[in-house]
Amino acid sequence: MMNSIIRNKSKLLIVIFWILMWEILSLIINREIYLPSPHATFSALLALLAEKESYITIFYSTYRTLTGFLISCVFGIILGYICAINKFFYNLLYPLVGVIRTIPVMSIIIIAIFWFRDSNVPIFVAFLMCFPIIWTNTVTGIDSTDVKLLQMCGIYKISKVRVIKSVYFYSALPYIKAAMISALGIGWKVTSAAEVLSLPKYSIGGFLYDSKVYLEIPSLFAWTIIIVLLSFIFESLLKALFNLGENYD
Amino acid sequence: MIKLVNVSKKYNDLEVLEDFNISFKKNKITSLFGPSGVGKTTIANIVAGIIPIDKGSVEGINGSLISYVFQEPRLLKWYNVYDNIDFVLKDLYPPTERVKIIKRYLKMVGLSEYKNYKINQLSGGMEQRVSLARAFAYPSDILIMDEPFKGLDFKLKKEMISLFKSMWKNSNRTVIFITHQVDEAIELADTIFKLKNRPIDIINRINTNSNREEIKNLLLM
Repeated sequence: MMNSIIRNKSKLLIVIFWILMWEILSLIINREIYLPSPHATFSALLALLAEKESYITIFYSTYRTLTGFLISCVFGIILGYICAINKFFYNLLYPLVGVIRTIPVMSIIIIAIFWFRDSNVPIFVAFLMCFPIIWTNTVTGIDSTDVKLLQMCGIYKISKVRVIKSVYFYSALPYIKAAMISALGIGWKVTSAAEVLSLPKYSIGGFLYDSKVYLEIPSLFAWTIIIVLLSFIFESLLKALFNLGENYD
Repeated sequence: MIKLVNVSKKYNDLEVLEDFNISFKKNKITSLFGPSGVGKTTIANIVAGIIPIDKGSVEGINGSLISYVFQEPRLLKWYNVYDNIDFVLKDLYPPTERVKIIKRYLKMVGLSEYKNYKINQLSGGMEQRVSLARAFAYPSDILIMDEPFKGLDFKLKKEMISLFKSMWKNSNRTVIFITHQVDEAIELADTIFKLKNRPIDIINRINTNSNREEIKNLLLM
């Protein structure tokens, strides 16, 4: 109890320290267009949160991020399993994943704008950016399965389906969990970037774009804070979900 | 009778077995005795079908079920004690039958109260007892035990040996017992094969009916 209070207090002090640094830097620069003060940013944030439209925007951006993320999880895990168990599929998919991993996000966004409706561009981009992380970690996780456990399954004549379900799945689980946490954070970043370029209706990216066009820098900072907070909240929820699963087991 | 007939096995260029012959009597305990690295596990793994042979044949295991107590327990750490035993029985028995079998063997190894414990909550000795319960709960004809008491302290080892003896008496199976401990081999086996390495060969075949001191001398020679 006491430790937790001390820990929270020190966290709060760190946050206060960095806000103070921000304030000092903004006073030194003294030009809102380069760096707005914390006061101006938080005022813009409060103004945003007072509007109904902001919540609709947050809802749609969250929907796009989570949809892209979840599709990448489904495909990444299933294809990861298939590729880890079957070398042919691995060799087939590996170059494609390698290419996806190296293509610049901006190129993918621009290509996707030609292929999809505005609102689907961020979903596709989030999927494409998250997929290699989930796929790679699933393959690595299954590859790391203890050979000795597989030998044990062979001796006790355990069926292939049960080996996949009870041995491969659990061996890969820590890797998949880490990949999902990392991919979710990336999902928020790339969804916002895709929204800035594709400008779908009700999108945080759209507001970021408007802030840039109309030089509303405090608003730009305020929306950025919202993205950071959303990313943090959903990452915490995902971790809590994993912990819940562990306890339930 | 389980037989390895003229079996040869190479690991890359290293010849571990060359025209090797050995036989294991049904429903008896046969010990493979020799120093570490002599290749005792290789023989057991050939019987278990884990290692393919280059030449020769393995006779008397067709259709037999095999259970194995490894040096390390090889349990699924994400499952609890009960589910680890249930894991090997699921394809063989209906649920009600499995409950009865698991209960019986958990009682035998003294772990009834720990059935819901996760593997990482158990001590090394308890883990090995789960592994023993799993091996006996499985309806095997052949039981392979590869230095199952390695790393256990003296008291625990004694406990495990008497536990094994009582479990084996209740369900006779052909046992291949690997050890490099003289006392373990004499205590448990009906027949002891003393082995030498590269390529593996039998130096001595000892029947444990004879004098204990004599056997000890033969093994330590």
